[in-house]
Amino acid sequence: MTLFTRNNCKLCKKIKSRFDLSAMEIKIETLTNDNAGALAHLAWHGLVEDARKSLPILVLDDSSPVRNFARIENRLIERSNKLGVPFQSESNIICEGGNCALQ
Amino acid sequence: MGVVLPLEPIGRNTEKISYSQNETTDLALFVRTSEEDITGWNRQRIVDALLRETFIDPDTAVRISKDVEKTVKSGALKTVTGPLIRELVNARLLELGLEQNRRMHTRLGVPLYDVDQLLVHQNKENANIPHGPEATNLTLAEGIKKEYALLHVFSEDVADAHLKGDIHLHDLGFIDRPYCSGQSLEYIKKFGLNLPHALSLAAPARHPEVLLSHMVKFAAALQSNFAGAIGWDAVNLFFAPYLEDLDDKGVRQLAQMMIFEFSQQAVARGGQAIFSDINIYWEVPRHFVDVPAIGPGGKYTGKTYGEYEKEAQRFAWALFDVYQEGDAAGRPFFFPKPLVHITEKLFITEGHEAFLEHICDVAADKGNTYFVFDRGETAKISECCRLSFKLEARDIEDAKKPWKMRYSALQNVTINLPRLGYRAKGDDATLFDLLTEQIRLAAKGHQQKKAFIEKLMAHGENGPLSLLAMKCDGENYLRLERCSYLVGMVGLNELVKTHLGRELHDSDEAMKFGLQVIAHMNLVCRKMGERFGMKFVLEQTPAESTAYRFAKLDMAHYSEEAAMVVQGNVENNEMYYTNSTLYTAAGEMNPIRRVEREGLFHPLIEAGAITHIWLGEAHPDKNSLKGFVENVFKHTQNDQIAFSPEFTVCLDCGRTMRGLRDDCSYCRSNHVDGITRITGYFTRVSSWNKGKIGELRDRYRNPNQL
Repeated sequence: MTLFTRNNCKLCKKIKSRFDLSAMEIKIETLTNDNAGALAHLAWHGLVEDARKSLPILVLDDSSPVRNFARIENRLIERSNKLGVPFQSESNIICEGGNCALQ
Repeated sequence: MGVVLPLEPIGRNTEKISYSQNETTDLALFVRTSEEDITGWNRQRIVDALLRETFIDPDTAVRISKDVEKTVKSGALKTVTGPLIRELVNARLLELGLEQNRRMHTRLGVPLYDVDQLLVHQNKENANIPHGPEATNLTLAEGIKKEYALLHVFSEDVADAHLKGDIHLHDLGFIDRPYCSGQSLEYIKKFGLNLPHALSLAAPARHPEVLLSHMVKFAAALQSNFAGAIGWDAVNLFFAPYLEDLDDKGVRQLAQMMIFEFSQQAVARGGQAIFSDINIYWEVPRHFVDVPAIGPGGKYTGKTYGEYEKEAQRFAWALFDVYQEGDAAGRPFFFPKPLVHITEKLFITEGHEAFLEHICDVAADKGNTYFVFDRGETAKISECCRLSFKLEARDIEDAKKPWKMRYSALQNVTINLPRLGYRAKGDDATLFDLLTEQIRLAAKGHQQKKAFIEKLMAHGENGPLSLLAMKCDGENYLRLERCSYLVGMVGLNELVKTHLGRELHDSDEAMKFGLQVIAHMNLVCRKMGERFGMKFVLEQTPAESTAYRFAKLDMAHYSEEAAMVVQGNVENNEMYYTNSTLYTAAGEMNPIRRVEREGLFHPLIEAGAITHIWLGEAHPDKNSLKGFVENVFKHTQNDQIAFSPEFTVCLDCGRTMRGLRDDCSYCRSNHVDGITRITGYFTRVSSWNKGKIGELRDRYRNPNQL
């Protein structure tokens, strides 16, 4: 699985603080102005336009994307439970400041 | 060298000019001047020219003039020409190590042999330019302006990079114009045809045929001020308020007039037809729904454009009826190119099924239809071979005053990607460093062109760009601050092959590497844009001649490496690189796979990308094409697609046949010519350059896969 994120994106931060993604064997791709590899990876999955609307995006092992934030959380909870990796309880955060999308 | 004139103070060397005024030496020699005069020898004129045009000091100028005089005298010539004297002076400047002054003293011109060749043989750099006196005028003028641009507009490093083939500065022959443009009919609907220095002014049109006449004339005027295409936004919608009282026959007649006017009017520069595009919508685009409509006489009709859907649809349908019929011989129209926007709203608009069938029928039959995909909230104006201006929030705001919706790309600079592969020798870090360096150079070239155009625009409505400086709505027609600057690419496929040993379509690894190259370009452009306050965006360069030029230069300078990847037939000079990010033209693959895979690049190429589907002589069923288009819209990232059938026209009996043939299947004459899409438009194959002929031979047609 790969999680596409961006710096200063509140929803991305929430995911990263709530779940131990490396223990869950989830690759984090941070989309920055210097990271052509991450952008190319996003393009490979055909998700550039989606990322311009909202981030984070989770790409599952079968390459299918999950864009909806609540569904991403559910998927990660499922995986945490499956792998026995603990995660923090829910906190209601909404994206304020418009940073939850690829610029 | 000009005629002998009284020495008047001019420019920076004013004080020095009188220095040697009395030292003129007359020889028994006549000078053919460039002002069509024969004057006596006057050495002072060399001094004057050097002082006027260079930074040289008066003593050196006099010394050079004497040296040249001596040379001329020793030759025992009866007549010398101004250009010869200038070259003798230049040679002396070189001998003295005064290179900068020599550059400043350069004479721009064309060798006699070249002119002789040009007058007889067609210039195939642009297949849209016919052969004739106007075309040779254009080629000669372009030649001078190209030299001027490389010597005087661009810095040496940028000019050298172009000359060496590291980059290509497009349309150097049109250095004093912006590149391509997107226009709004609303400008002439509101303000009439009111061009600077025109012999007469026309008030806003009151009848549809007059509006069409204004549109065509304005397009011709614009073509003289832009290097590339003239695209018109939402043409069927903006005509709609004029069509309320017209019956279907009248609408059909207007559609026919529009297409013939644009396709037959071979009076633009060089005797070519105006490179024109019309953007067409079946639905009323969201951003125009609530906009007050401008109608006859330039007055608001009291309705919004949302209320003109039916009239707009009638016109769109009629336009495609005309495209389907073709010209008097049944051939496809080359211009104006119809660009149909496929949007989410289209699929919920009444009648869309039938309209899609209609335009797909035309695509299968004649190939005219361009399918432009505007997914989600995206809105754009498309034109040229694939260029598109994506509308940002401020542009959508402009839609409330649609006459303001005029956009331009000021210049296009293309990067020779395969060469970077040769230089990087398989090392990733070197490759990406080199790529960054080339984009930086392209950005520098853009800054220089911008500064040059700004200088010309500063002369206002009495200056050289008076049309672009006209201010009918209070601001310059060319909104420089809204211009974008294109960075293109040629030969991604060959770069990847050089670097990884595989072509783009060969493996996922090759494809992922290709995406990384384009992602890198995208990000570097963004950073450069932020740094310079300019909008640098990637475009898939059409590269009608650049793909050939780069391949030829690389075969000359990187022959060993280039020979491994260059496409086409090197032996007969029909070599080329694959355009932009496209898969090799020869690649045998299902069209849906080509569209899907090539489409992965498109979101990274924000100023326009396309996939071509070469039909050959196949004539797919309209419903198959319709399904195909719907699938592309719903399931891929592809930005635009076009289907390209091929035709043969018999130059003896005038008939048109499907497919490219060696002779006429009706009269058996072998006096035939082919017609198909070269890069983004239909034209006759006989006008194609060798590189494109090579590509045409290689193209993999998709006869039965649609």
